[in-house]
Amino acid sequence: MIQRIRTIAFHTFKESVREKVLYNLIVFALLLIGSAVLFASISLGIERLLLVNLGLSSIAIFGLLMAIFIGIGLVSKEIDRRTIHNILSKPVRRFEFIIGKYLGLLLTLVVNTAIMAGGFYTALYYVERHLGHEDLLLLDAIYFILLQFAIVVGLALLFSCISTPILSAFFTFCLYVVGNFLGDIRWLGHESGSAIFEKVTALLYYLLPNFSDFQVISQAAHGKAVPSYLLTSGSFYALLYVTVLISASILIFEEREF
Amino acid sequence: MKQGSETRFRTRPQIWLCWLLLAGGFLALWPIQRAIDRRAGGVGENAEILDFHSGKTLRTLSLGHAGLLADIYWTRAVQYFGRKRIAHARRFELLAPLLRITTQLDPHLLIAYRFGAIFLAAKPPEGAGEPEQALQLVRQGIVANPGYWRFWQDLGFIYYWDLKNYKMAARAFETGSKQPGAMVWMKAMAATISAQGGDFQTSRLLWSEIYLQPETETVRRSALAHLAALRADQDIRELNALVIRFRKEHGSDPRSLNSLVQAGYLKAVPLDPSGVPYVLGIDGKITVGPQSKIDRYLLTEPSSPPEAHA
Repeated sequence: MIQRIRTIAFHTFKESVREKVLYNLIVFALLLIGSAVLFASISLGIERLLLVNLGLSSIAIFGLLMAIFIGIGLVSKEIDRRTIHNILSKPVRRFEFIIGKYLGLLLTLVVNTAIMAGGFYTALYYVERHLGHEDLLLLDAIYFILLQFAIVVGLALLFSCISTPILSAFFTFCLYVVGNFLGDIRWLGHESGSAIFEKVTALLYYLLPNFSDFQVISQAAHGKAVPSYLLTSGSFYALLYVTVLISASILIFEEREF
Repeated sequence: MKQGSETRFRTRPQIWLCWLLLAGGFLALWPIQRAIDRRAGGVGENAEILDFHSGKTLRTLSLGHAGLLADIYWTRAVQYFGRKRIAHARRFELLAPLLRITTQLDPHLLIAYRFGAIFLAAKPPEGAGEPEQALQLVRQGIVANPGYWRFWQDLGFIYYWDLKNYKMAARAFETGSKQPGAMVWMKAMAATISAQGGDFQTSRLLWSEIYLQPETETVRRSALAHLAALRADQDIRELNALVIRFRKEHGSDPRSLNSLVQAGYLKAVPLDPSGVPYVLGIDGKITVGPQSKIDRYLLTEPSSPPEAHA
């Protein structure tokens, strides 16, 4: 089983790296990170801070775009091309196909994030002429960005099983945005004075992916380490949420007829 | 066959027309944009528009990238200030809102509070001439970054230089001196400014504290010099009061401090803390003697040229 999942994941990775949009996004992200050096020259006293904020935000935003644009086609593309019949006619079970697809795209994103992080650290080295302990703390922020990608890929995969690519992209992006506002939504419910509305917003708060848990870029940019409890709880949260999303995807995919 | 059709396509006159339109179109855009800028006032005019008024709203909308937005807003504030300075403007309407938004987006962007306060407090055309706004900004910085003692230094300087409120300035320096990591000169500043504001008792107390702290010998010597100057200051004030009393009662100025002794106002010519007699200056005011080891620059009372009458 592991071997079959590994094979699907590897092929998904190979297929993803052939996407031209991927290279466009990486090049654009690297250009943006490099341009931070120029932006800093028109500001005052924030050379490093601007580079860190712009670099990490670029990694997060472009990685998110890659996760959505490649993730939405994971399953639907196989169905459209009818290659799904070939795959499932082989001794591959449907859940193996879903898990393999998920891991393949995640691997793609890890590799791309590593490339962008490499570019980011090169720019940082260019500005500071050395890399210190404070700079290594930024790896925590990059790890949290990857955790976000893991959930976004899960969402994209889920929607890819049930909808068209365009709608899947729309739903995934909407959930990402809503996931950043969950704290405010819950506060709104609390302030509304309506017991039902409060319960509904509280339910949404726990049900939808809370992406604000992973927002540590500003903290890391100021040289503050991410607390260990947050590293642990954030990792478990992402792992559990991804498990939920993949399980839901498998359930839907198992019932689908082609 | 396909090759042939492609070659024919490339040589068609329509292609040349397309290239001509493309180049001509771009060239025509330039004067049009220039005309629009002339009518609308150009890029500088657009900078006077503040699209968002609340940093908190922007923070919510930033989807976790508030730090980057804060950097952008800080850069915008720096550029706005620089542009206004170059234009010798006397009004900086957007500076305070831009700084407020910046610090709301990233409450730990220390430089925005510190330099922002300088931009706001300085008198036009060097700055916005809004020291109250500067105070508010620095106070917000203190609330958001309670352990950062430099904000108290900035607060003290705004009270001292821009508002001439020596009492509040001394209080700010003194509070800042109690923050973790604060430099010893914060207390020295508080002591000096207290004396300038006429609060000699507080000043003496602070300098005594500095003297007793296990600081370097230089700091201790400085504290001793300030304590001596404070004592001399108080003596000079009291002696000047006696001179005024003499003038009222005798209808003429005393010729020297000996005149005060002879008139019974003093038992003997008083000595300053360095053991040198005080002298009466040609302007009729008391000062330290030419041999005195008291640092004249530390005296808050104006020191006239020492020329004894007697």
